This record gives sequence, C-alpha cells and structure tokens, in this order.
Amino acid sequence: MRGRKNKDLFLGILIWFSAIVTVIVLVGIIGYILINGMPHVNLRFLTSEYSASKNGSKGILPMIINTVYVVILTLLLAVPICIGGAIYLTQYARQGKTVKLIRFATEVLSGIPSVIYGLFGYAVFVVMFQLRLSILSGSLTMMICILPIIIRTTEEALLAVPDAYREGGLALGAGKLRVTLGIVLPCALPGIRTGIVLAIGRIVGETAALLFTVGVSGNFLPKGENIFTALFGHLFEQGNTLALHLYNSAMNGKDPPSVPFATAATLLILVFILNRFAALASGQKKKATK
Amino acid sequence: MVLLLIKHYTLSSVAFFLGFVSAVVQTAFSSSLREAFIGQGVERFSSWMGYGWTLFLFFSLIASACALFLSGIENTAENIFKLTAFISVGAVGLITVYMFVSGIPAIAKIGFFDFVFGTRWAPVGTEVSFGILNMILASIFGCIGAIMIGVPIGLLTAVFLAEIAPKRLASIIRPAVELLAGIPSVIYGFWGMKVLVPSIREFSTKIGYNSTGSGLAAVIIILSIMILPTIIRVAETALRSVPESYTEAALALGNTKISTIFSVQIPAARSGILAGIILGVGRAIGETMAVIMVAGNIVQFPSLFSSVRPMTAGIAFEMGYAEAGLHRQALFAIGLILFIFIMFVNLSFSYLSGKGVRADARQKK
Repeated sequence: MRGRKNKDLFLGILIWFSAIVTVIVLVGIIGYILINGMPHVNLRFLTSEYSASKNGSKGILPMIINTVYVVILTLLLAVPICIGGAIYLTQYARQGKTVKLIRFATEVLSGIPSVIYGLFGYAVFVVMFQLRLSILSGSLTMMICILPIIIRTTEEALLAVPDAYREGGLALGAGKLRVTLGIVLPCALPGIRTGIVLAIGRIVGETAALLFTVGVSGNFLPKGENIFTALFGHLFEQGNTLALHLYNSAMNGKDPPSVPFATAATLLILVFILNRFAALASGQKKKATK
Repeated sequence: MVLLLIKHYTLSSVAFFLGFVSAVVQTAFSSSLREAFIGQGVERFSSWMGYGWTLFLFFSLIASACALFLSGIENTAENIFKLTAFISVGAVGLITVYMFVSGIPAIAKIGFFDFVFGTRWAPVGTEVSFGILNMILASIFGCIGAIMIGVPIGLLTAVFLAEIAPKRLASIIRPAVELLAGIPSVIYGFWGMKVLVPSIREFSTKIGYNSTGSGLAAVIIILSIMILPTIIRVAETALRSVPESYTEAALALGNTKISTIFSVQIPAARSGILAGIILGVGRAIGETMAVIMVAGNIVQFPSLFSSVRPMTAGIAFEMGYAEAGLHRQALFAIGLILFIFIMFVNLSFSYLSGKGVRADARQKK
C-alpha cells in the first residue's frame, strides 16, 4: 500500500514537472526575445529604410511592406479558391469517394513541410513560369501552403450554419446558389475570418518556403515612374519579408546584433496580435452559435 | 438540336484542353525564349503572359461562357466550386510529380545506392561526390532524440491539462500552448542560436569536449520544444475522448486517480497518442529554419556535440549558391527522399486517424 502511494506521488510530481517545464520554456523564449529586442524597437526602426552597408540605416520598413505584399497577394489568390472548395465540399458534394479524395489531399498538403513547398515553388514558379525570385512566385507558393488552413476552418463554419436557414431560403424560392452566397456564407463569416487570420499568421512566420521563391536580397521600397509601375512592378521584384530578414541578419552577422533581436521582437508581437485576433474571432463564433 | 445532344461539358472541356495544351507547349519552349523575358516589372508581366497562357485564358473564358449558356447559372456555379475544390488535389498531384521529375535525374546519374548510402558529400570542387547518408542519419537521430524528450513531457502535460489541472490553471496553460504552436520557426532558431548553442558550448567544455555548441544536441532540444504543442494538443484530445465509464469503473475498483490515468486512460487513448507522435515525427523531420540555425551545417557522422547537417538544412543551406546542374539536381533529390519520408509519415497518420482520432486535431500546422 505504501509503495503505491509513493509511486502515485512520484508520478504526480512528474506530471506537474512536465507542465511546469512546458510553461517555463514558453515564458523563457518569449521573455528572452522581448527583453532583448524591445528596447531597440522604436519608430525610427520601424519606419526607416534598410541598407546592407555596415553603417547604413537599419530600419525594417521595406520588410514590413514586403510582408504586407505577400500577405495580401496570397490571400487574394487563396481565399476565393478555399471558400469555393469549402462550399463545394459542404453544400454540393455528395459524400463519397470524391469528397474523401479532396479531404485526403487537403490533409496531405497540411503535412508537407515548408522546405518542400519551397523547392516546388522554385521549380514551378521561379524556373518554369519564369517569374524568377519575386513576390509573385512567393505568394503563389504560399497560396498552396495555406489552402488546408482556410479550407478546413471555412468548412467547419459552413457546417455550423443551421439547416433551417437553408431550408427557409429555398422555401422562399431562392435558387441554391443564391441561398449559398446570400444566406449560408454570410452566417459563416466569423469562422472564415478566423481561418484567414490563422493563415496570415502562417504567412508572416514562414521562412523556408519563401527562401527560394522571393529571395533574401529585396531590401528596397517599391519604386517606379508612376504609382502604377511602383505598386505593380514591385510584385516582380525580390522582397525580403520580416521572417526572412530575421534569418538573414542573424546568420550573416553583418548587421549589429540589435537588428535581429528587434526584428524578432517585432515579428513575435505581430504573431501575438494575430493569435489574439483569431481567438477573439472564434470566441465570437462560439457565442453566435450558442 | 445538335447543341442539345452535346453534353454541356464536352464543348467546354475541349476548349479548356486546347488552351491548356497551348499553354504547356509555350512554357516548354520558353527556355529558348529566355532572353525575351529579361525586362523590368510590367514588361516582364506582359511577356510572361506570352501567347500560350493568353490562349489558355481565352479558351477558358470561351469554355465558361459555353457552360453558362448551355447549363445555366446554377450548374456553372456548381462546376466552378467543384473546380476550386479540386485545386488542392491538383496541388498534391503536381507537387508529387514535380518532386519526382526534378529528383530522379540526379539519383539516376549518381546511382541510388551511392546517393543514399554514400558517406561523402562534396558538391563543389574537382572530385565531386554526392552521398547523403550522414544527412539522413542526422535527420533521423534528431527526430528520434526529439521524440524521446518531447513525447514524455508532452504526454504528461496533456495528462495535466486533461485530468489534473484545476480548471482555472488549465484555461491559462492551454492558450499558452497554442501560442507555442504559433511562434514562427525562425524565432525558435534564433533563440536556439543565442541561448541554447552558447550554453551547450559551455556545458560541453565543462565535461571535456571541445565544441562550438551547435550540433545534434541543440537540434534535438529545439525540435523537442517545437513538437510539444502538436503532441500536447493531439494527446489531450485523445485523453478526453476516453469514455467516462472506463475511468469510473477503474476508480470504483479502488484505483487511485493517478493509477487510473496510467493504467486505463493512457492505454485506451493510445492510438490517438500514437497519431500525435507520428505528427510530431513529421514536424521534426520537416523542420528547416530552426534546425539550420543551430545545427552548424558540417556534413559528418552525427554526434551530440559536433556540427551536423540534417536533410532539410542541407537543402536550404545550399539552394542559395548551388549552380544549375548536378549540384542543384542533387538538392532536389534530397528533397525527394525527404518527401518520401514525409508521405510515409502522412499516410500512417491518415491510417491511424481513420481509426478514431479526429483529423482536425492537427489544425493549425
């Protein structure tokens, strides 16, 4: 009897120990990055240009703009596809082999590591389509990466819409397309929003898939003769994102050590904010369905 | 009458097919037109759009117009939704095909056994040699080590969250674990580079090794931290889905809470826990950025305190400077080997998740 008590005590301590280790690791990593990085994050750092020379300005404005480019372009490409796919899976398709195949493919996509996406994007978009290292080929690669994330959340959101809404719409004489786009989709918006925020988090933090598709040397602001060429021409230029910049400046050792720390802190805070948004959006969804 | 006899998709699919063929032909010949593509910004866009892809778009438009005309807006919409749904299937197909197409040539040239079991990796120089055994071993050892550290801690944390923790505490720790899953891998790598590597260096000099600190030990620790959230999430879901009656029966027979957990609940949840471990393996083998920043990147037989280079790091490290030719092809071949590993892991996960684990447990990465 006593041996068992000791064993229980031992296992209980082990469980508490593991949980504490998990928390300490988390707090340790976040704390270390923020404590060392935050003092260097200021308005000048966030809004000035970057030059690779030793004593040049070391701001991250170009990287922020590039990140925004990649995020917006990727979402423009991916969101319609994901929503269309999720609508097909939940509203149109009959359960069977086709649906199983699509679900399986989505699951496989979410398991492929980003370095493989990078190689694929390099072979297809950079070399075959002749897009070279550019924000466009990076976004096309990221589009495939985030398909499973948005498809899954959208699918769940669409499934959560009560059938009565659908039936009500159909009974009033609306066609299936009208019911889907006019009634079901708006009801599922909060869920879709969560998916999109999660996807943004993934794009912002992504490095390996972008390393071979947008390159690490695009440290300049969009420029051109007029606003049109500046805005759209930038899509075909290399664009260093925040995460890539962190990797590059940490590995190169050319920048003063405060640069990667400050970049890491900025990135971390960005990810936290997105995480919070995702939690808020899904909280809203839960309330709405209750 | 004739039009009605044609099934509505025949015409449109013919147009679509024509467009696609012309697009592919144009792309295939475009390497000879490479000079034409040197241009800036918008000019490059127009030349990229060359006649093949313009034709593709044109025929696709005709196809959709035909479909609209012949089958009405409802069917058209359904077909469009269907098309978008199949894009992920197409993507998986394309990735598989491309990994094989770009990986096979190097393996064929080097020879499968020399490639996979060769121990000398010297891609540049006069006597080139492409043997990736040491990279494969580094990947596998790193993964095994991460599983050995990460799984016990993750599983026990999952037990803590599911059974032991007071509700308040669990509701603080659970979002924290989610946060851990959301941190970009490059930040893990940076932390490892700044904190882990120096402390391992100090530790190894203390016990008599002379090392830089980067190496298998750092890789293992970083990877075991990174797979924690995956394992915790999946294991917690699995533990929670164990029927209440099992637990109650065990408690009624006089078991303590702890012994119920270890002798009833964990065995009952084992297929779910195994699925979590497999997911963790997939993440650990495929992880690139965090690994490349702490591994040291010298290709040699992996040992704890000396520099190693796992497969993923090998690809990412050399893609930057590899010249087109056998070197780059060899990197794609490493990618192919990695891809085959990952597909194997994926398929076993799907097999297990068919056996009662909810597939959405792997949500978010």
